[in-house]
Amino acid sequence: MIVRTVLLTTLLLTLAVTAGVRFALLLGIGLAIGFALERFGFGFAGPWRRLIRERNGQGVMAQLLAIGLTALAIQPLIAYAPGSMLGAIAPISVSMVLAAFVFGLAMQLILGCGSGTLVNAGSGNVLAIVALPFFCIGSFIGTLWVPAAIEWTPHAVVSLPQSLGVPGSVFTTLGGLLLIGWGVSRFTDGPLWNKKLITAAVILAGLAVVHVLVAGQPWGVVYGLGLWVAKGAVSLGWDPSTAAFWTHPINASALTESILTDTTSLTSMGLLGGAAMAAWAGSRDVPLWPELKPWIFLMVIVAGLLLGISSRLAFGCNVGALFSGIASGSGHGWAWMLAGFLGSVLGVRLRDWLWIRAVREAG
Amino acid sequence: MSRRSGIVFVLICIFAVVSAEWVGGNPPDPYRAPDPMAFGSTSGASGAICTFAPGASQ
Repeated sequence: MIVRTVLLTTLLLTLAVTAGVRFALLLGIGLAIGFALERFGFGFAGPWRRLIRERNGQGVMAQLLAIGLTALAIQPLIAYAPGSMLGAIAPISVSMVLAAFVFGLAMQLILGCGSGTLVNAGSGNVLAIVALPFFCIGSFIGTLWVPAAIEWTPHAVVSLPQSLGVPGSVFTTLGGLLLIGWGVSRFTDGPLWNKKLITAAVILAGLAVVHVLVAGQPWGVVYGLGLWVAKGAVSLGWDPSTAAFWTHPINASALTESILTDTTSLTSMGLLGGAAMAAWAGSRDVPLWPELKPWIFLMVIVAGLLLGISSRLAFGCNVGALFSGIASGSGHGWAWMLAGFLGSVLGVRLRDWLWIRAVREAG
Repeated sequence: MSRRSGIVFVLICIFAVVSAEWVGGNPPDPYRAPDPMAFGSTSGASGAICTFAPGASQ
């Protein structure tokens, strides 16, 4: 415990000195989020699966609580400091909705969403470890396709704070979450609230608000994953000026700057590290390789690629689009939730069918 | 092999990615560091965001 604390403090202080205090804080926030998600078993794909299969809405209610608390804090904050802070506002389009549907389906196949794949990989889950590099590659491929998607289909930005003002936006956001919560409560069998998940939701909301204060933007995951592959591609001779996405000043700058100064890279690495810390003690007794047929890894690779591509085309994953989008008052967050959930309904069925075959053939 | 091997593998991968980028010529520059917090600062958001949609009106 003491050794880990000393190592962690040294790591954060070193980053503060070599890159800047803000970046050390962001890595620390990522570590805390990863630790909390793993320790409390808080997630997105799993709770949706439990709601669909078992009519257990506890995880979804915790998600709604976390999003609501975050919205309550960050919408006024962003409006108060518009020059230095921005919300996770993105357009709605046909391609965005289809991509969110595919993400919802793919995240059920490997039971790992944007944050979940990182947390699972950090905790030593070999399926997530296999999926993660392909998630990164897919995210990069998505950056190459997203300008065409924007050009070919109409994209409309729906910003609730801009349309309704901050009080109206917060009221609408909380009202929408309450409505969904009511629907979940009607659908759920058994208890609706879980003390551990409520605690995790409050912690996650607190960390999401701190993230906005420090970074000036809401929590996201997938941008950093695509950036890592783009940097690798550049080092192998790829010319980023051939891709419209990477010629935009913000992205071109991210390509030339260190990943230790990129917000989503730092929090995503933090998620991996935080989950590793939380899972370390109990990891010795859990076997690395599950008893599954090898072909399941091919499915994991395809799902990883789909997660990456679809999250870029949907302007974020369950974190950047669903969590941060809704909390920021972006209409695309709500569209993402609906399409992602429908994709998950199909994904749950598909996973059950595939897993039963994989386990039966392995046995 | 246990899951601990998987954790160690992931941590080594993170270290390798950061090291490779640093050695490849992209070390961070502490003299260009923004204010510790975006809130109340003039430096604003730290960089790109997942919801970034180039070409679409934001």
